Order: sequence, then C-alpha cells, then structure tokens
Amino acid sequence: MQIRVDFTPMVDMNMLLITFFMLCTTMIKSQTLTIALPTNEKVQNEENMSQASANDAITIIIDAKKKAGPTPGTLMVDSVNGNVVNEIYYYDGKPGGDEGIFGPGGVVISANNNLKKSELLSDEVNSVGDHKARGIRDIIQNRNKEVLEKINALKKDLNDGKFGSLETKDGREEAMAKYNEAASKVRKDENIKKPVIIIKSTPEASYRGLVDILDEMQINSISKYQIDNITDADLVMLDDYRKHHNE
Amino acid sequence: MGRVKIARKSTFIDMTAMSDVTVLLLTFFMLTSTFLSKEPTTVITPASVSTEKVQETNVVQVLVSPKGQIWLTMNNDTSAQWSNTKMRVELLDKVTEIYNESHKKNPVSFNAQQKQAFSKLGAFGVPLSQMGEFLSLADEPEGLTKMDQWLGGEDPNPNHKTGIPIAVENSEDNLNEFQMWIKAARQTENANLAQAMKEGAGVAIKADQNTSFEIIHMVMDNLQTIKQNKFTLLTALKAGDE
Repeated sequence: MQIRVDFTPMVDMNMLLITFFMLCTTMIKSQTLTIALPTNEKVQNEENMSQASANDAITIIIDAKKKAGPTPGTLMVDSVNGNVVNEIYYYDGKPGGDEGIFGPGGVVISANNNLKKSELLSDEVNSVGDHKARGIRDIIQNRNKEVLEKINALKKDLNDGKFGSLETKDGREEAMAKYNEAASKVRKDENIKKPVIIIKSTPEASYRGLVDILDEMQINSISKYQIDNITDADLVMLDDYRKHHNE
Repeated sequence: MGRVKIARKSTFIDMTAMSDVTVLLLTFFMLTSTFLSKEPTTVITPASVSTEKVQETNVVQVLVSPKGQIWLTMNNDTSAQWSNTKMRVELLDKVTEIYNESHKKNPVSFNAQQKQAFSKLGAFGVPLSQMGEFLSLADEPEGLTKMDQWLGGEDPNPNHKTGIPIAVENSEDNLNEFQMWIKAARQTENANLAQAMKEGAGVAIKADQNTSFEIIHMVMDNLQTIKQNKFTLLTALKAGDE
C-alpha cells in the first residue's frame, strides 16, 4: 500500500504566508543626505567670517510656481503626480550686481536686477547617447569646469583599472576607496577655481526642491555650498523679475 | 482498425517539491524582513541620488508632517546595556528634568507605569503637559488604539494635541519642547547615540516631499539653535539619474 499525502493545502497556506511577509516588509532601505549648517550664533569678530568672493558666488533661489488667474497665491500642482511645482532662479555675485538692487531712498532699480530664471532639468540624451547638461546643471557645470574635468579624468582612470583591478569584489572596493580619496582631494584643492553656491528658498517652495538642488551639488562635485535664509533683496528681485516678465 | 488506447493517468500532482520551495521562500522572507514601524503620518520622502544608507540603530528620527507637526522616534543600540526600553525611560527622565527647570510652576512627573508605557511606544509626540494623560491610556481597555488615534490627530477630544511643540524660540535658555527632547537624547547614557548625533548621522529628518520649505526651515533652525548643526535628511533612491 502506498501512502500519499496531498500537499496542495500546505502550498496554499505557504503562499498566503509569503504574500503576507512580502507585503509587510521594507526591502529598500532609505537613503540619507548629510548636511552641515553653520552655527546660528552671531559672529562677534568680523574677521572670522568666511566671505565668499563675489566672483565665485552663485545664489540659487527656489520658489514655488503660483497659479495665475483669479486666485493668486495658490500653488501650482503637477497634474500627474500632485507635487508642488518648483521654479529655479539664480544670480551671480551680489544681488543687483556691484551697484545693488536698491537705489537711493530704497527705490528698486530694475536695470540692476541680475536675477535669471533657470530650470531643474536633468541630462538630455542625444541620438548618439551622449549626455548633455541642461538648465541649472549646465550653469553649475560651466562654473565648476576645472574640478569636473579632473574628476572625469579620475573616473576614466577608475574604469580603465588604473586604481586597481575591478575584477574581484575586494579589488573593486579598494579601487573605489582610492578613487574617492583622489576625488575628494580634487574637490578640496584650493588652487582650482571653483564656485561657492548659496542655496536659498522661499517659504512656499517645497522640500523636494531643496533636496533636488542638494543633489545637483553632489552630481556636480561642488565642495562649497550652504543653505541660507532668503533676504529682502532676493524677494524684491524675484518680484521685480516677475513684473518684467509678466508672470 | 485498432482503436488507439489512451492510458488513464491520475491527475494527482505531487506537491511535495512545491511545498519545499514555498517553505524556503517563506523562511527567507521571515528572516530578512524588518517590519514597517507604525507612524502617526505617512510621508513620501523626496528622491535623491545619494546612496548613503540610513543608520538603523543609534538614531533619533524627526518625523515632520506637511502641516508642521513633529514626532520623534529613538532607536538605540542593539546591545542590552543600552537597549531601547532602558534608554527610553532615561530619555523621559532627562526631558522631565529639563522641562521642570523652565516650568517651575507646573512641573510634570511620571509614575513607573507611565514610564513603562513610554518605553514601548514607537513614535512619540505629545506636549509634555499632556504626556501623563496620554501614557495612562496604555492601561485602559483599547488604550493602544486610543493612543494611535491621539498621535494621528484623530482623537475626538479637541484638547488632545498631537505633535511636539516647536514654536521658534531662538535662545539657548528658553528652549521649546522639541529642543528639550533632542538635548535629552544627547544626554542619555548611550555613548554611541551621543557620538552619532555629534557626527550628524544620529539625527535624521523625515519629511514629505511637498512639505513647504518654511516648515523644514523651522526644524533646521531649531536644531541649529541647540548646536545640532549636522544632521541627515531621509531620501528615497532616485532611479535612472547619473
């Protein structure tokens, strides 16, 4: 006599349990972005303040796009994913250039407004498969050319196996460590001309915009950047820009 | 003409092998799973190219709702010496101490049962003046559901406030409750947590991608005031870029 146990119900139950565990688990761990802010205390000694030279400074302002029409002030929302739409503006050096945005008596001089509008676009891929930076990334990359050239050369060296063999796992890790060390040396090299980026955001802009810009810093190997409070001059320039561009 | 004979076969399929496979899969999922912890609000973190992994132990997570409410989670060492339960009780003691220093007229205190209840919480975030009442719920029937409702802001009683008070008070002497909690976390016995907080990996901000910058700025400002200048932002992995 043969004894056969029917395992079908057992499989059914197991499948249910698997489904339960699959749905309840988090497989992907969250990623993190580390940021360091300067201290909030008032600096007593002016000499201790690190001053960015106006030639190197770029200020990026993130603002939320507002709806035009009968209800001013409401934020524009993406129709596909429901996210707040952010706009990116930037200016070089000081607000309003060397002469400043405010004339005598606090009058706004529109001619001095050096604010420009940009977009947060990632790379454009042409038919050959080459990436070309667009929007704010293109602007940052242009200013950080010298660093990026060196970093790209290092990347090529890494891929060519000049930092060590990429065949084994240990070798890869070692090569990556060497590459990271060399890259961080390039980023911190004081002799290379590189920009200082000041990131500002209006209160309405969404958190996503900030993270997107912080991402750009990482992508473009920017070593000096900071998050700063938005000033009156910045807000005035934004208003002035919109007035002259009918937005 | 001969008839083609079709052999009668049993339709019985042997499921033993299949069962083996499913049990293996089940074991895999059971061993690798970390359960989603319950949070008072659901947030979608923004996507980023950063590939740094989040620290799972020795971290204080600041959960920020789009409306600006704050909850905290404290994950301690895996070692028994600085276990979550033990450190939670210490955290509550420390924060009570700091709170009572500046609120001499109406100090708060907690009994052993309330402390016990606090050590079992996931995320927490109730004003300290209501904390006692909140923790006492744990001993009531269906208390846990009531606690969840309170934390999620669905409590029928409008006096029950959720979220740690975080109004901006930019001075070191006059701290708000959020700053007290962070300070208390730094002062607990767990040296690994203190070290992680000093390096920045110990404080993680988890906020929804559509939270306005105003709210994020307020949280950052609060941290800066108590000299917690380094911290991390929780993000999700961005696919397909760079």
